[in-house]
Amino acid sequence: MPVYSLYMGCSVPANYPNYEAAMFKVAEALGMNLNYLEDVACCGSPNLRSIDTFGWLLVNARTIAIAEKSGHDIVTPCNGCFGSLKDVLHHLTHHKDDLKKINVELKKMGLEFKGSINVRHIIEAMYTDIGIEEIKKRVTKPLDGVGIAIHYGCHLLRPLDVTEFRPEILQEMVDATGATVIDYPLWKQCCGATVLPVNEQLAIRLARDKLKSMKDAGAVFITVVCPACGNQLDLQQLGLKDSYGEVYDLPVLLYPQILALAMGMNEEEIGLSMNRVPADPILDHLSG
Amino acid sequence: MTDPVLVIGAGVAGMTAAVELADNGVKTILIDRKSTIGGNALELYKAFPTDDCFYCFEGNRWRPGIRKCFYRSAMVDQPNIDLKTDTRVKGISGTPGKFSVILDLGPQYVDPKRCTLCGLCTNVSEAFLLASPQCQPQAVSYDPEKTDDGAKKAEDECPTQAINLSAIQTEETVTVSDIVIATGYHEMKPSVVDEYGYGKLPNVITQLELAQMLDPNGESAGALVRPSDGAQVKNVMMIQCVGSRDENYYPFCSKICCVFALKHANIISSERNDSRVSVVYMDIRTYDQHERYYRETRDAGVEFVRGRVSRVESQKDGTLDVHVYDSLLNRYLKFTVDLLVLSSALEPPEAADELLSSLGLNSASGYVGPADPISENEVVAGEHVYACGGALGPAEVPESVNQARAVVSKILQGRK
Amino acid sequence: MTETEEKTGPPVTLIDPIDMTKLDPKFRNDISSMPNGEELSACFACSTCTAACPIANQWDYMPHQLIRMILLGMRDEVLSSKEIWECLTCFQCQERCPQKVRVTDIFFDCKNLAAEEGHVPENVLALGKTLVDKGQLYEVINDWEREDLDLEPEVPGLSIEGIQSILKSTRTGKLVEDGE
Ligand SMILES: Cc1cc2nc3c(=O)[nH]c(=O)nc-3n(C[C@H](O)[C@H](O)[C@H](O)COP(=O)(O)OP(=O)(O)OC[C@H]3O[C@@H](n4cnc5c(N)ncnc54)[C@H](O)[C@@H]3O)c2cc1C
Ligand code: SF4
Ligand code: SF4
Ligand code: SF4
Ligand code: SF4
Repeated sequence: MPVYSLYMGCSVPANYPNYEAAMFKVAEALGMNLNYLEDVACCGSPNLRSIDTFGWLLVNARTIAIAEKSGHDIVTPCNGCFGSLKDVLHHLTHHKDDLKKINVELKKMGLEFKGSINVRHIIEAMYTDIGIEEIKKRVTKPLDGVGIAIHYGCHLLRPLDVTEFRPEILQEMVDATGATVIDYPLWKQCCGATVLPVNEQLAIRLARDKLKSMKDAGAVFITVVCPACGNQLDLQQLGLKDSYGEVYDLPVLLYPQILALAMGMNEEEIGLSMNRVPADPILDHLSG
Repeated sequence: MTDPVLVIGAGVAGMTAAVELADNGVKTILIDRKSTIGGNALELYKAFPTDDCFYCFEGNRWRPGIRKCFYRSAMVDQPNIDLKTDTRVKGISGTPGKFSVILDLGPQYVDPKRCTLCGLCTNVSEAFLLASPQCQPQAVSYDPEKTDDGAKKAEDECPTQAINLSAIQTEETVTVSDIVIATGYHEMKPSVVDEYGYGKLPNVITQLELAQMLDPNGESAGALVRPSDGAQVKNVMMIQCVGSRDENYYPFCSKICCVFALKHANIISSERNDSRVSVVYMDIRTYDQHERYYRETRDAGVEFVRGRVSRVESQKDGTLDVHVYDSLLNRYLKFTVDLLVLSSALEPPEAADELLSSLGLNSASGYVGPADPISENEVVAGEHVYACGGALGPAEVPESVNQARAVVSKILQGRK
Repeated sequence: MTETEEKTGPPVTLIDPIDMTKLDPKFRNDISSMPNGEELSACFACSTCTAACPIANQWDYMPHQLIRMILLGMRDEVLSSKEIWECLTCFQCQERCPQKVRVTDIFFDCKNLAAEEGHVPENVLALGKTLVDKGQLYEVINDWEREDLDLEPEVPGLSIEGIQSILKSTRTGKLVEDGE
């Protein structure tokens, strides 16, 4: 049974406990052993990198150094945490000068960054370590044909030399549930979550363009693998409805929720009622 | 015996054709209207694509014909080559395969086979000049317009009796089987493009003039100085496409000026420590592998500005204020520079049109056009008439050499 | 560029060019010596980055122009621009740059330089303050939701002091202090 150090960050536990619960249920069913990392700090998000790159490097190097003690790869369900940790790992393995400076600081905390483990998104760990065939075997209620638009999230895919995450991974994972992946023109586009603090109107317009592109292409619902993207695409639908009367009705599900449903788990176990846009179309589909 | 081949123009292309024909046993008459051969490549310092010094191509060590630092090159020593400098074509008649060509030979004041470059004449008279220690043929030249009392003394005392001041212009008619046009190109004098002030402002020069300035054997011994006052140059600006790609002057792209401009920018920023270079361009066309010059110059800190010049103003301290519209930024920028270098169009050489019409050849914007643009080899200009190198349009040395070899193989095939 | 218009009399010239001698030629070196700034000078202004950017259309300076401004030495204009802060950090520009210029990373470097000079938008600074004060960006508010799902009530494994103690001694701490 593969063993992992699980880094939760603060966003999933605070805003998306349903993501956390679904992830655990699915991981358990797939035989993945997830152990919460203890005593680790918030990743600080790209905002911390913007104002204080050194602080951001140090905070995340500390997390990696702590995980290195157990020797298991870090997995995380949040693109923001994944982006930060993976970027810091990449940076410190490629910039020896910065590594030296960081290790001087870490030493004071009794830690050392060696770069001996990897940082991975939980979805990629499922895909690589368990495999599509194994996952398919556990699908008992396939989501036959229902159209799903994937929003990958910027920090999952880019920069590729840092994240090493190919879009096909998530596509195949969605395919495995029996759903149909809907291609839509703006699939690479940012959901706008990161710009919320500095320009909310811009953030709304980004989400709107994205939702429209998905809807026009025939998507029935959306899947995401990040609390920030999920929050943005889910919440802005309510806002767009209130301010412009535009209705998208595209339920936003975290990927493990979809897989859990396809594996026959029930909606309470995975907190489906917490998703803002009601997930009725999927449930209808499953019961129908 | 078959008739010899006439090669007109002894630049890189003409020399290559002559040497390779001669090495294959073909008698060749090589003429050039200047007294020193080598053409435009004479004072270029370093050459792309290898960055070798133009005086001594590493890649051409085995080929004395092109290596100008050789004391006696194949141009003079190869018995199958009959080199005639100071020579022009006066008229052509006859038929393809048997042309009758009247050559106009300038007076041969100094016999290159005898001159040992001892320096006696240049010491006693202003009329004698050693163009370059590497010049070919290895001989001094004499300018009758500058003659003085010392000239007669030189004639009398020349240890090898190489000097003949009473030499006169002569004519000679030769019968040749084939004619190779290798008359090269000429760098346009950009005074016509008046917004840059060339010809009026001394610190506005062309790329060829810059090449000569960078040349260690040149007047300033390779130092980058302002023509106006000899002051050290700190800021250089280059302007691309001056007279090229412009329906008012020449419609074609001169093809190699981007590459040699960047070659110069590279030399300046890597070998002339404190000098800064900016390049104003419409497109940078560093074709094929030459893209590396573009990348290297950017890495070296050369500044590229996409846009055009609004105006050039001379300042009291000898600098030039250049106002440039930066189309990428949509802003106007003001630069202060010491030297403004124009990448001027490469045009057909003087009298190229006469040669074209006397042989009834096609013209491609004034250059030699192929006889049959669609099916024929580009070097075939007519029946038993070929062209190579700059004569076909702006070309770099390797391309000129390749075309010369193509001409040689055509002629050899024709003789089998 | 300075606003030299006076109320008395017409403006002096129609075109007021940017005087290159007034710009900061060291700026490009400052950026290229920062994390992932190495390839800055390779930019050949193709504007692929701008074509890739989902929001450049809303900006006064496009991504390729910002890179150009850095190369030209327009330090003040770049570091006080709103654009570097509105950048989504979506890396689309960086991914497509044909010269491997790490455009997004370079904008991160610019933001760090701006922060060093004390220019940080209020709401971004507020996030820094949240990190220093609370040791996390999001706190659990509805712990009953977690309990319903059989999860422990707090954010699992989170060390609040971990980040607080670090950020107090780095630039974030200084910015937050100065902001108070
Ligand atoms: C600034 C500059 C830098 C360059 N740098 C490089 C470089 O780094 N690398 C590179 O590969 N290339 C370079 N080039 C290009 C190079 O100069 C040419 O490729 C090469 O000189 C072409 O040789 P050619 O023999 O075809 O023509 P030319 O060199 O022009 O020779 C033609 C010869 O024909 C003679 N002639 C002309 N008309 C007549 C006539 N009617 N009768 C008799 N004789 C005549 C001329 O006197 C001349 O000697 C550069 C060019 C310039 C302008
Ligand atoms: S004196 Fe005679 S040999 Fe000496 S350089 Fe003059 S011409 Fe040549
Ligand atoms: S080679 Fe460059 S400078 Fe020369 S004409 Fe072409 S584009 Fe213009
Ligand atoms: S894509 Fe790259 S090379 Fe092109 S303008 Fe942008 S930064 Fe420069
Ligand atoms: S990272 Fe910023 S500049 Fe680059 S494409 Fe995204 S929003 Fe535009």
